Amino acid sequence: MDKSFEILDHPADLKIRAFGKTKEGLFLNMMRGMAESQQGEIENKKEIKKEIKVKSSDLASLLVDFLSEIIYLSQTNKEIYFNAGFRKFSENYLEGELFGQKVKRFNEDIKAVTYHELEIKKADDHWEATVIFDI
Amino acid sequence: MMTKKDLNKISDFVWEIPKSFRADMRVPARIYADQNLLEKVFDDRSLEQLINVATLPGIINYALAMPDMHEGYGFPIGGVAGFEAKEGIISPGGVGYDINCGVRVLRSDLSFGEIQPHIVNLMNQIQRDVPSGVGQGGGVKLSEESMKKVLEEGVRCIIEKGYGQKEDIEYCEERGMMAGAQASAVSEKAKSRGRDQLGTLGAGNHFLEVQKVDEIFDDKIAAVFGLKKDLVTIMIHCGSRGLGHQVATDYVSVMHKVASKYKISLSDAELACAPFESQEGKQYFSAMASSANFAWANRQMIMHLVRGAWQRILGQSGGQLKLIYDVAHNVAKLEKYDGQNLVIHRKGATRAFPPASHDIPEKYRLSGQPVLIPGTMGTASYILAGTQKAKETFFSVCHGAGRVMSRHAAIRAAESSQLRQKLESEGIVVRCLSNKGLAEEAPMAYKDIHNVVEVVEQAGLAKKVARLKPLGVIKG
Repeated sequence: MDKSFEILDHPADLKIRAFGKTKEGLFLNMMRGMAESQQGEIENKKEIKKEIKVKSSDLASLLVDFLSEIIYLSQTNKEIYFNAGFRKFSENYLEGELFGQKVKRFNEDIKAVTYHELEIKKADDHWEATVIFDI
Repeated sequence: MMTKKDLNKISDFVWEIPKSFRADMRVPARIYADQNLLEKVFDDRSLEQLINVATLPGIINYALAMPDMHEGYGFPIGGVAGFEAKEGIISPGGVGYDINCGVRVLRSDLSFGEIQPHIVNLMNQIQRDVPSGVGQGGGVKLSEESMKKVLEEGVRCIIEKGYGQKEDIEYCEERGMMAGAQASAVSEKAKSRGRDQLGTLGAGNHFLEVQKVDEIFDDKIAAVFGLKKDLVTIMIHCGSRGLGHQVATDYVSVMHKVASKYKISLSDAELACAPFESQEGKQYFSAMASSANFAWANRQMIMHLVRGAWQRILGQSGGQLKLIYDVAHNVAKLEKYDGQNLVIHRKGATRAFPPASHDIPEKYRLSGQPVLIPGTMGTASYILAGTQKAKETFFSVCHGAGRVMSRHAAIRAAESSQLRQKLESEGIVVRCLSNKGLAEEAPMAYKDIHNVVEVVEQAGLAKKVARLKPLGVIKG
């Protein structure tokens, strides 16, 4: 498993498959796939930190809610996040910090995260998830 | 795997999936299509999605799909369903993320010949005045109090602030202010995402076109709508921006958490729903109505900016731009059918009320509601009129052409600079900051709008009145 994520083809929207050795790694790589797709034009390279706490009903919802929170933070603060550090991480709760940069603008408008064809699973030695984003 | 053999032919334009097709269906599903469009519905998962809709609690008659049907989230795009208000559900997946994505059309007093020498300047001015593009904010940053008013009063509050004329209110579906809206049902996150987006077009498939009436199909109704051949019109297509998307995100999450409480089992997680009369159902309805009001206010503000640009370029000789109508195509509404209160979900479908309806402007009571169908970039759009026969679809028709090709495939297939050249060689002034954005919306990525509209008319759901051809396009 060399790739951290891949962008797949989809009729109307954005479909990303991400991989990770752990669930935390999987969440991080999905976030990076999303960040790359946003195509932000960096305003300055100063590192931005943002606190994040998400509570959901299960792991799949946790992934959707985590990414939705990132879209909200990204759009309202005009920031893009490339890294995350999790202090707590369970099946339905996560808490930690996002690290990113201010952007001038995004060239792709990721508007929402969907449950459509959502998949999150443990393969032999890694975790894998597929998410479709509304753009 | 479903095939054409699984469908029963009801007429040349109506096909049915019987209730017996899948054990969990509560009603049959019906698709409006001719042979050509029917072939295309097997290319994606939209039929499966329509069947899933037919399983939802409280659905009555049929799960319906319009001829522009294609795969969406939860409901297919082009999906329509009515649910009993007392026993049935409401679902954000039956409305969509862009709540009250919709269209308005304005008519001018000028003909194509009169506008032709000014078209480039006009498109440049509109592009300067109407903010467009990814995540683009507008000129107005709403205070908390103003946001509350916009969410609860929609177009009315924007006009009070001077962005339009009082008579504009009359020519919006729901008079631009949907009952039941409560700003308190909209999260702070959603309000922050919409704070500086009022009066902005956004990106994706949203656009603003200056058009001319290319053909009139019904002289009498066209005269009622104020249309004649060669007249210049303006079409605005956009929705509730980030605010509506956040409301949908918030309530899909809420409804996931309460599904077991209401013993609702879902065939698709994107159909997350709650009983209409439950606390969560009522709250979503209030938040959705608020987002719908935000979208109407957004289109009103854009129209105001367009009127300013028009006057700046054309001066007194430009005359006035009058609103023909404004329709929503992603919304759930409480409507009465044969004495029964129903929650009608239209997801990528346009309300098309018939003549004599009390819910349309008095001016249109003999003709039926103007039904505005935006086409694909560089092809054509249509104006139709509502008919009585559309009662069978809860007075609903298609909302556009319907996508058939992925955005990436469209970018690969349509060399964007060539596409720009092709449109310009046809005399269409294109103003789009992003070549990629232009290619994504290439006409080849959609079904044939003429075919889709023809099916609507042949099925008797609406009557063709006029076809509009683009003179200039602004895309975010």
